Amino acid sequence: MRLVRSMALAGALLTMAATTAVAATRIDFFFPVPVDGALAKEMQNLVARFNQENPDIEVTAAYTGTYDETDIKTRAAIKAGKPPAVALMSANFITQYHIDDLVDPFDPLVRAEGKTPEDFMGEFWPALSGNARVDGKIYGVPFQNSTPLLYYNAEAFTEAGLDPDKPPTTWEEWVEDAKKLTRHEGDKTTRYGIMLPGTYDILGWTISALTLSNGGQYYNPDWGGEIYYDTPSTVGALTFVDDLVHKFKVMPEGTIQTPAMNNAFFGGQVAMIVSSTGSLSFIRQNMKTPFKVAFIPRNVRNAVPIGGASLIIPKGNSQERKQAAWKLIKWLTSPQISGGWSRFTGYFAPVKAAYELPEMKEFLDKNPDAKVALEQLAFAKPWFATYNTVAVRKALEDEVQAMLSGKKTPTEAAKSAQANANALLKPYVDATALNLPK
Amino acid sequence: MAQALTEAAILAPRLERPAQARRTHSAISTSLAFWLLAPSFFLLFLFTYVPILEALTQAVSLEGFGGKPIGYGLGNFQRLFADASFWKALWNNLVYGLGTVAPSIILAVVLGVALQEATRLNALLRTMIVFPVVLPLVAVATLFAFVLMPGVGLLDHHLAKLGIAATNWLGSPDTALYAIIGLSIWKNAGYYMLFVLAGLQAIAPELHEAAKLDGAGPVSRFFRITLPLLKPTLAFILVIAIINVVTQIDHVIVLTGGGPSDSTNIILNYIFQAAHQQGDSGRAAAATVISVAALLSLSVASLRTLERGMHYES
Amino acid sequence: MKTRRARFPAPRRTLRLLAVALLCGFALIWSTPLLWMLVASVRDIPFGSTDAASLMPDFKPTNAHFADAFAQGDFVRWYVNTLLVTLGILMVQLVTITLAGYAFARMEFRGKNLLFYLFLLQLTLAPPILIVPNTLMIVRLGLYDSLPGIMAPYFASAFGVFLMRQTFKTIPRDFEEAAILDGASFAQMIRLVLVPLARPGLIAFSIVSLTSHWNEFLWPLMVTDSPDKMVLTVGLTSFVRSAEQAADWGLVAAATLLVAGPLLVAFALFQRQFVNSFLFTGIK
Repeated sequence: MRLVRSMALAGALLTMAATTAVAATRIDFFFPVPVDGALAKEMQNLVARFNQENPDIEVTAAYTGTYDETDIKTRAAIKAGKPPAVALMSANFITQYHIDDLVDPFDPLVRAEGKTPEDFMGEFWPALSGNARVDGKIYGVPFQNSTPLLYYNAEAFTEAGLDPDKPPTTWEEWVEDAKKLTRHEGDKTTRYGIMLPGTYDILGWTISALTLSNGGQYYNPDWGGEIYYDTPSTVGALTFVDDLVHKFKVMPEGTIQTPAMNNAFFGGQVAMIVSSTGSLSFIRQNMKTPFKVAFIPRNVRNAVPIGGASLIIPKGNSQERKQAAWKLIKWLTSPQISGGWSRFTGYFAPVKAAYELPEMKEFLDKNPDAKVALEQLAFAKPWFATYNTVAVRKALEDEVQAMLSGKKTPTEAAKSAQANANALLKPYVDATALNLPK
Repeated sequence: MAQALTEAAILAPRLERPAQARRTHSAISTSLAFWLLAPSFFLLFLFTYVPILEALTQAVSLEGFGGKPIGYGLGNFQRLFADASFWKALWNNLVYGLGTVAPSIILAVVLGVALQEATRLNALLRTMIVFPVVLPLVAVATLFAFVLMPGVGLLDHHLAKLGIAATNWLGSPDTALYAIIGLSIWKNAGYYMLFVLAGLQAIAPELHEAAKLDGAGPVSRFFRITLPLLKPTLAFILVIAIINVVTQIDHVIVLTGGGPSDSTNIILNYIFQAAHQQGDSGRAAAATVISVAALLSLSVASLRTLERGMHYES
Repeated sequence: MKTRRARFPAPRRTLRLLAVALLCGFALIWSTPLLWMLVASVRDIPFGSTDAASLMPDFKPTNAHFADAFAQGDFVRWYVNTLLVTLGILMVQLVTITLAGYAFARMEFRGKNLLFYLFLLQLTLAPPILIVPNTLMIVRLGLYDSLPGIMAPYFASAFGVFLMRQTFKTIPRDFEEAAILDGASFAQMIRLVLVPLARPGLIAFSIVSLTSHWNEFLWPLMVTDSPDKMVLTVGLTSFVRSAEQAADWGLVAAATLLVAGPLLVAFALFQRQFVNSFLFTGIK
């Protein structure tokens, strides 16, 4: 009985909490945070601020895990008829949302403001529009964006007789430096030259960065039915990674999980890692030894993929909720808010105007590493996005993981990744490019 | 004896006076039985029977691009059987099952026999071994993310003191499944030990005394008396263990997501990924139907065992 | 016991001591993950520390990790939700399994055996296996993203019915008949006579039900997404996984302890009841 009573009480409390804001439009906002729990808290703070400034809207921010999990949750919610009004979606999932017809375009909302879609996209860095616009319409508004960066331990550089102000710029130099940075004690390696993250999602992104640096295109940016795994540029990138492990022995064998990589970088057991600009603030706060960042070294050209996430309005929201969502999106991507989020996280601010603000200029002067991330933006390309993106990405990742463990050669890995990806793309290919007049 | 207890439980109803029993039956009508069973049946209908039927229908419904229905057939099963990942997941589940079940049960028996005497020290040791049982599997997984971290994790840190080099437990397709197996053994062995302890308690001490008089040593007594008499207990544990092996995946989702290279992808994770990551509900349903069929045949095959095991009052 | 031990010849006793030492060592190694969780949750572990795995209590305890956990995670709400879900499931289950268990134990009706086997189907079908169709059902019932949506599939328990059937069968019929003869209604008879007599079965079932639903993860993860619907396990993974990315092991340990702690303490305090329940019921 006592239990029943206390449950009834708890129920009553919950109902009370729910009825406080009656008049406001209530919307929910799904957001992932790939690194560091503190970011989730900060996002909640931001939303609380928005709610305070906009009494007519009541936003509930739901932290929905990783990018992949946020995708699963958003789809489930749309299916359940309870779509979130706004979701922060991995920028390369938007193509698939459009193919599956699960997302509303922003164009009408933009036009209602008296802007053309071109004007609107013009406010963002040019590299971002590739993932935000699909088939000529805007489906995502960039919010937190990143590129991969080379993080390196400056102390280890000095110790190995390298100049910490001269990071490797080519793959050649990268390997040479890595060799010098790798340290052994007996048959044990006490410090590795390089670690690349091997966990699902970031592994695919890292490989695409190396492929782009190797002159490749990785996927067909205009049509979601083609991925270029079994090509010289990708095979070259894979061979390079395989050599780091098995030939030069400057990187440990096997899949390196991200926590282990971060831990090793903090602890000085690895001298160089590749990680997102989104980790910049977190590493800056927690790394005890001095570190620096640099461009991803090139083989053919300097090029990196965009990463990060854009805000979308999933299908199935009422006009009223859409308007409220649009208001939240505009607020979140305003130069002030987006600049503040950039300084807090390390992601770069997608709106160019954010960098005109005095507080941003001051911040960049104080943190030259953030400037490197910004400069690399000039070489950024859209992120790969196809039909069935996650599965297509995983098709490569599983093969690369096998290669990293010495189970497959780079050529074999690329071949079977291509075959598996083609099988995954087939339904879309059959329904589009191979759907010919009969 | 273990059976003695359970048989007493099964036999108990037979000891009633039949005349009175019949009177009760007639006094309470079938319609009352209907109302007593209705709530459970209705809920089982909603959340077991309908979902099973739905999985079946889904499995034989064929969809074109964009989820357009294009008729019925066995196409989903064909695609499932043509998918190398499915066979890999089946194989992994088999290895995972054997690797988890056999060692956990052996460990449970050894520990149960070693700790059966009711001393204070034994009580403490039992508690220590049973603790992981009450932990949420996700909590175990988050702990093991650190335990298994190469180089600095709990395992490597202490192995290093024995001169064993760092191992990338979860990062190599050769070791990842075994790391997951180790976690499962740690989580479940204590649970199974409890049943062994109860089974042992039910073995009459006279049997051991008699064997001792015949000059049988502890080892031969274990194999000649203890083990045969534990058989029903072990059969029961085996069934629970198999169910666990098929239905628990929290740790896989949290630690590896099935990787690296699909090496820890087991059936339920495969279903989960097919449904949610690849949006292929037909193939997911086909795999679900196969798992459900396997579990149902297990329950049919083991009804007697379950019925007996359900009554180990200590 | 003591006299018996004295009968052992000397080498046998050495062997015995060796075995005890071996067992103690084994139990200690077995406990290291939990020991580490305790130690690390109150130990200052710098990022990238190479002795994060140390088990030595060679430090001044800090509450920083717990403070972090409470600052980053909404533990109070998660506890409340978890309690609501586990107790809510249990309340309904106790009613449904008592009624159905009684029917199967005491009544004769047509199709009884068939129905009984139909019930038993659910015994081995742990809900995660049917996760995809079950989620659809929850959506159809309008229970998606609600606490009742987490609870509903568990309201009926074939296993509980089975257990109660066995329990009722061990209770002699005389009690019920006496109550009916004394003019008690059927409902009164169940409530005042049978339920108290079946208490061991009910308690056993309760402990097992509470433990397994407290620990459940995948199902609540799939059918909820609002932060105010999160239960402990889902909340734990939501931020511990990012803490892991960040290699913040003290925070990981503290948060894991917060989630597992209540059951660990309950287990240590009520060990007998727990063990008896697990044995009594077998399957979770």
